[in-house]
Amino acid sequence: MKNIILGLAIAATTLAACNNNSNKSTESQNVSNNTHAISQTDNATITTSSVADAKNTVSIKEIVSTYLQLKNALTKDNSTDAATAGTTLEAAFKNFDKTALTAAQKKTFEDVEDDAREHAEHIGKNGGNIIHQREHFEILSKDMYDLVKTFGGGQVLFKVFCPMYNNGKGAFWLSETKEIKNPYMGKAMPTCGTIQEELR
Amino acid sequence: MSFTKKIILAIAIVFIAIQFIQPAHNKSGQVLATDISKTVSISDSVQALLKNTCYDCHSNNTNYPWYLNIQPMDWLMAKHIIKGKEALNFSEFGSYSPRRQLSKLNGIANSIKDDIMPLSSYKLMHKNAQLSTNEKALFINWAQQSKDSLSAKN
Repeated sequence: MKNIILGLAIAATTLAACNNNSNKSTESQNVSNNTHAISQTDNATITTSSVADAKNTVSIKEIVSTYLQLKNALTKDNSTDAATAGTTLEAAFKNFDKTALTAAQKKTFEDVEDDAREHAEHIGKNGGNIIHQREHFEILSKDMYDLVKTFGGGQVLFKVFCPMYNNGKGAFWLSETKEIKNPYMGKAMPTCGTIQEELR
Repeated sequence: MSFTKKIILAIAIVFIAIQFIQPAHNKSGQVLATDISKTVSISDSVQALLKNTCYDCHSNNTNYPWYLNIQPMDWLMAKHIIKGKEALNFSEFGSYSPRRQLSKLNGIANSIKDDIMPLSSYKLMHKNAQLSTNEKALFINWAQQSKDSLSAKN
């Protein structure tokens, strides 16, 4: 008898839990941004685009610097700090003001953002699982490379390649210094890596 | 009627009542043009693995065992499916951007390798979702090869 009561009680609690639908973040604001960007391209002048450029560099800089924080946490095998940086990075992408972008810039940004935000979010949610964080960091680094190639990083960056990660498949990351500190191998093999490219 | 009996009766009534509230089942029954099989090549053995271990939550076609007709099990499953499809939907793989497709294939290989997927709660209920070492290797290999062929194309 007691078992039945318990079972039914569990059923009732689950029922209550099920109805607690979490809020889904809507991205409808992008739509209005889009129209704005297009109208701006139509009557583009040198002045507006240069203002836009300056503004973008500042915001991209925030994304870049948060990425670098994440990278540095991983070089120190610090999963908790990496998670914090991951969450901050997701927010930096989310809060990036796209209104000043041209239609083409916006397309590139959103293509990267779509992917990078998810990786940043997973890194944020996987504090304590540094292996998984590094797997997401690998793809995130590719996204960041494409972003910096398009928008500029706001500072000199180096593309560093470590051939050992991923069972010899290798992976790269972006660094603010020439000194090699490997975010994939961490303290186990801190100096594995060669500079492949300088991004100015 | 004693107080306890009244409570039991009330709970029983609620339990029976909720049986009538069924979520819409995730069963489209058709292969969309955006299905992953139209984007990358999938061998029969990998297709079987995908169907048995992934598609219940990551496609538009869930295979519903009998106990999922009982509430609140069905609701719990429905929630899982929404979350699963949000993260990755094999039925709509073709609608992802090339960047996302590569990223997802990478994620598939990694989640299998790290035993993140299939979820342990899912494996508990589905015996054939417990992948052997060979099956895992087959799976990971497929994801990596698909990734390589896609990145060569783009």
